[in-house]
Amino acid sequence: MDREPFVIATTDRGSIAVSADAVAQIVGSAAAESYGVVALAGRGRLSRLVPWGIKKGVDVELRPDGLVIQLRVVVEHGLKLAEVAEAVRSRIHYELERMVGLPIASVEVHIDGVRH
Amino acid sequence: MELEVVRHLARSALRNLEAHRRRIDDLNVYPVPDGDTGTNLTLTLRSIVEALDASTAVDSEAVAKDVTRAALMGARGNSGVIFSQIVRGFVEVLGRHEGVSGALLSRAFRGASDTAYRAVKRPVEGTMLTVIREMAEESERKEHRRLRPNELLQAVLARGEDAVARTPELLDVLRNAGVVDAGGAGLVEIARGMVYGATGEEIPEAPVETESLGLDAIHLELSEFRYCTVFLVDGEDLDKDALEAQLEEIGDSLLVVGDSSALKVHVHTDDPGRALMLGTAVGVVEGVEIANMHHQTAQREERLLEGSPSALQTLETGLVAVCPGRGNRRLFESLGATRVIEGGQTMNPSAKDILDAIEAVPTDDVIVLPNNSNVVLTTEQAASMSEKRVRVVPSRSVQAGLAAMTGFMSANSIDENERTMLGELESAATGEITVASRTASLDGIEIREGEYLGLVDDTAVVSDPDLDVVVHAVVDRVLERGHTFLTILTGDDAPAVDGFVAAFEARHPGLEVEIHDGGQPHYPLLVVAQ
Repeated sequence: MDREPFVIATTDRGSIAVSADAVAQIVGSAAAESYGVVALAGRGRLSRLVPWGIKKGVDVELRPDGLVIQLRVVVEHGLKLAEVAEAVRSRIHYELERMVGLPIASVEVHIDGVRH
Repeated sequence: MELEVVRHLARSALRNLEAHRRRIDDLNVYPVPDGDTGTNLTLTLRSIVEALDASTAVDSEAVAKDVTRAALMGARGNSGVIFSQIVRGFVEVLGRHEGVSGALLSRAFRGASDTAYRAVKRPVEGTMLTVIREMAEESERKEHRRLRPNELLQAVLARGEDAVARTPELLDVLRNAGVVDAGGAGLVEIARGMVYGATGEEIPEAPVETESLGLDAIHLELSEFRYCTVFLVDGEDLDKDALEAQLEEIGDSLLVVGDSSALKVHVHTDDPGRALMLGTAVGVVEGVEIANMHHQTAQREERLLEGSPSALQTLETGLVAVCPGRGNRRLFESLGATRVIEGGQTMNPSAKDILDAIEAVPTDDVIVLPNNSNVVLTTEQAASMSEKRVRVVPSRSVQAGLAAMTGFMSANSIDENERTMLGELESAATGEITVASRTASLDGIEIREGEYLGLVDDTAVVSDPDLDVVVHAVVDRVLERGHTFLTILTGDDAPAVDGFVAAFEARHPGLEVEIHDGGQPHYPLLVVAQ
């Protein structure tokens, strides 16, 4: 995973960069406000030791073709999971395009659990 | 709760929501401005109405169970999911008692609000959630304590309207776009339809919206009925509303247009004879067209499978595409798509629709083109559900899908096809020209309602009252990377484009331009450069 911040604009006076952490915060915040999402899932022990690019339940990576986002969420029991996941995915995509402006290669939403 | 009463209220709610569906679609800017809130709510409510029609529930608890299940199964889109949760909380309370009092109704609204809020980690105010919460609060006011259910419903509706009007104060994105919340507006129209049903008031026309809902849009919807029936009624003092109400009883996808001397009727029904009798009872019927829709589908399948058996055997890879518009369908078919599913911006097919199409393709290897960013995930789901080897080439628009299609050869292996199609998709530049439905600021572009709006690769790049300016700006941008082949898909309300071709070729020497009648709604012009 890339530790360097992602450069989003370069001018003759310098460049503007955004950190993977900031991207993860945007993703986490958009997910938390998405209907049906009651929690962001915790991650495995190993990933918690990796200090960069990870918010709870959020993975951010910059590949040559754009940002790759992976998100793990817990959804309220009794909701149609496919519709919830699609709404979360499209919202994250939209928020990232609007706020960060980097190309987005993929946004994957994993439903890790269902809360009764 | 009695089944008959609930049926009546739900139908009335659906009818009123349908009349406002386009307006609500146009309000939709949050959480993602994809203009489908009205349609998603309508489809969700429709599945509840259909379940009630089929229900044999004899007591309140069983009615509640049927409604909850239908809401969950039929939930479409973000607003549909929230609505399904509101419905669940509402009928859960009502299902515990046989009768309905004002006090019980109030507890039902509280249940609806609490259940809706429970399913989100961080509720956003200024949305459907705010509206249902305020409705619940209104129902609990002391001065309403002695109201009968109908009266309470009216008070709750008035508060809901007020809450919707205040949504821009709570959510900046609404204020910036100059709209109220679409989901909240939909919820109020549903409540209003219930009030009409409860009081027996007529549902007023919503003239602007119903007119723009054309036959094509209606045909995109799924119908459980067999016959598409169209006819004209000539007569004097024809009562459009009365005829509509009678036809409503026997079918769906109903459209009655015209005036007191002539009405055009379109209805999907299992009993076309009865529909015609309703017409002849009030006037002279002519121009009758009855099509067996199940037969139409079957015929299409036959047509697809017809080719000689030997030709079929050389098929290595099948292809399923999702796209809106008759012209686009033909275009994808002519480029080798084995199956095309209607769908797009405001009508997303379900995973099951896509899975059915995948299963129906006569090959073991199938490539799927979602052709819309909202359909990509559903497609991936369908792909994972199939036993076949399925690859999704994630085209985010019809024109992007068309670019990918140019790399498809049914005689080649799935790996080879996937590789070339992804390559085409990657290198293509796509653009869209639409008419702005409201004044707003987007991607740093100031957009005025009614102006032409140009987007390139999903980003707004230009807005101007002059179509020429917008078309050239978009085409210049999609050709920036040195592409030499431009395809234009004209939509439902497309302007004349012949004049543009010469202009493009003059501005971009060596450019080849191709124009096809795509027939997609909402986007007069779609372009892709390769």
